[in-house]
Amino acid sequence: MESETILEAVNLRKQFGALVAVEDVSLKVRKNSLHAIIGPNGAGKTTFFNLLSGNIEPTSGQVIFKGRDITHQPVHRTIHFGIGRSFQITNIFPNLTVFENIRLAAQALGADNFKFWQPASAFKKYESRTWEVIEKVGLKDRALTPAKTLPHGDQRKLELGMILAPDPEVLLLDEPTAGMASEQVPELIALIQEIQKAGNKTVMLVEHNMNVVMSVSDAITVMHQGKVLAEGTPAEITANKEVQTAYLGGLYELNV
Amino acid sequence: MNSLAAIFRQNRASLLTLLGLVLLPFIAGMFEGASPAAVWVNAAGTSKFIQGLAIEIFILALYALSFDLIFGITGLLSFGHSMFFSVGAYLTGILLKSFGLNLWQTIGVVFLAAIAQAVLFGIVLPRVKGITFALVTLGMASVFHILVMSRELGDYTGADVGLQGVIVPDFISPANERLRFYFVALAVMVLAYLLYQRFVASPTGRVCVAIRENEGRARMLGYNTFSFKFAALLLSSITAAFAGTLHCLYQPIVSPNTASMGFTVTALLIVLLGGVGTLNGALVGALVYRLLDFGLRRYIGESASFINGAIYVAFVLFIPYGIVGTWMLKSFEIKKGWERLVGMVKK
Repeated sequence: MESETILEAVNLRKQFGALVAVEDVSLKVRKNSLHAIIGPNGAGKTTFFNLLSGNIEPTSGQVIFKGRDITHQPVHRTIHFGIGRSFQITNIFPNLTVFENIRLAAQALGADNFKFWQPASAFKKYESRTWEVIEKVGLKDRALTPAKTLPHGDQRKLELGMILAPDPEVLLLDEPTAGMASEQVPELIALIQEIQKAGNKTVMLVEHNMNVVMSVSDAITVMHQGKVLAEGTPAEITANKEVQTAYLGGLYELNV
Repeated sequence: MNSLAAIFRQNRASLLTLLGLVLLPFIAGMFEGASPAAVWVNAAGTSKFIQGLAIEIFILALYALSFDLIFGITGLLSFGHSMFFSVGAYLTGILLKSFGLNLWQTIGVVFLAAIAQAVLFGIVLPRVKGITFALVTLGMASVFHILVMSRELGDYTGADVGLQGVIVPDFISPANERLRFYFVALAVMVLAYLLYQRFVASPTGRVCVAIRENEGRARMLGYNTFSFKFAALLLSSITAAFAGTLHCLYQPIVSPNTASMGFTVTALLIVLLGGVGTLNGALVGALVYRLLDFGLRRYIGESASFINGAIYVAFVLFIPYGIVGTWMLKSFEIKKGWERLVGMVKK
């Protein structure tokens, strides 16, 4: 395992009025690792993700990506650095086809966005990339259906496909399995693992399913009331008394 | 040769419509017994009248098309669209009448002005969203409306009477060269339509559609959405301004009503009638809108606007996707139905 840090949060803080949603969180994500963020509802996990991906501006603190301060970059730059982000609440283009949803994601980083005199279908490289991704996430049969008519589980796959298309180095996945039928979860998690291992990618994962988190993660950060409560390997987190009493205790049965 | 045949087959309906529009003046003349030769030399009669009505429809269609690009395709609700049109109309008239420019110079200035007003709208674009954008653009258009109505500028704009007495160059005079004007207006409309179709199918246009669907997501995918919205505004502004130019050349008077909010609503209404975001809906909508207005006024008179209003309400209630939108939905359903039937029979 490499120990090089790819993404780093330095004293990241977000305040909404009197509420401190994220309180001075510092965190290092190692390259090519699968780093999970867990914590009870309202712990600030999604806000923390929003800070990392640039969706909201932090009150103070920094986001460092590969040694570069990207804290105040506009949100549309994030993916250009190589950070892709998926959402907990399905966030797609509802009336466009599955194909078009992913094609748009594939086109974004190219240099052809303002070639308004040529049809989009003339740019084969985006189309072939789109088919590649559609196949990977298993939506080939659904490629030409409007995204809004997909069942929820398939929409989650589409969401994943949309961040895979531009091939980012870091994937921030905010509860990728949220609302999925439990029998579909292992399939998606296996896919995420496969992508991470095969493509040498770094994955940050917010997830509620403890069994999933414990089995796939290289590192886990536990957040509680906007702060980092603990950090370590799955074994360390399971053994951590503080985590057990504050969060895990009584709620989850852990088998390691 | 093969590809030509394929192009013809794929666009049969559009090409036949175009052919019909090219022949329309002559066919209209034939009903009255006027020979194509008489129509060709612009003899007075039904054909000339029909041409006039058609020119008005083409101009309206061009204007509605430009509105559909920002509203239907990109999802920007602008209540200042009448300004895009009336800047073109007034500027054309004033430059020809008061500044003695020739038509080509005028068109050049109108083009620059169209860019300038798109920039003006573009300045507020990233700062206000949704209904606020609608209100701010309404404010800007209202300022322009007040300007053209003002007594101080009356020498140029004709204030509340409207701009009149514009000398139109002979070669395109709507009185003596109406048939030529008809073909020019038709050609401008068709070219704009083709350009728009191409734009919407292009990478740029696809992103505009994505912005309409979910702007936040488009930004997250890596698009600086402002540039795309501005591109749509720019194209829309130029189209609407040229529609205004044609309007000024064709009409004996440019009414300040074309700068009012009512005229923006006209564009909205046409697009709703035809089908939002369909492009050809704007063309169909303009035809229906103008013919309804004309027919009702002619045969019913005073109470026409009341009945007109009732018809629009019925439209929204019964075919909310507009004529073209509903047609597209239905033809899809019918196609599906046939496929199901064929599937059942085969089993």
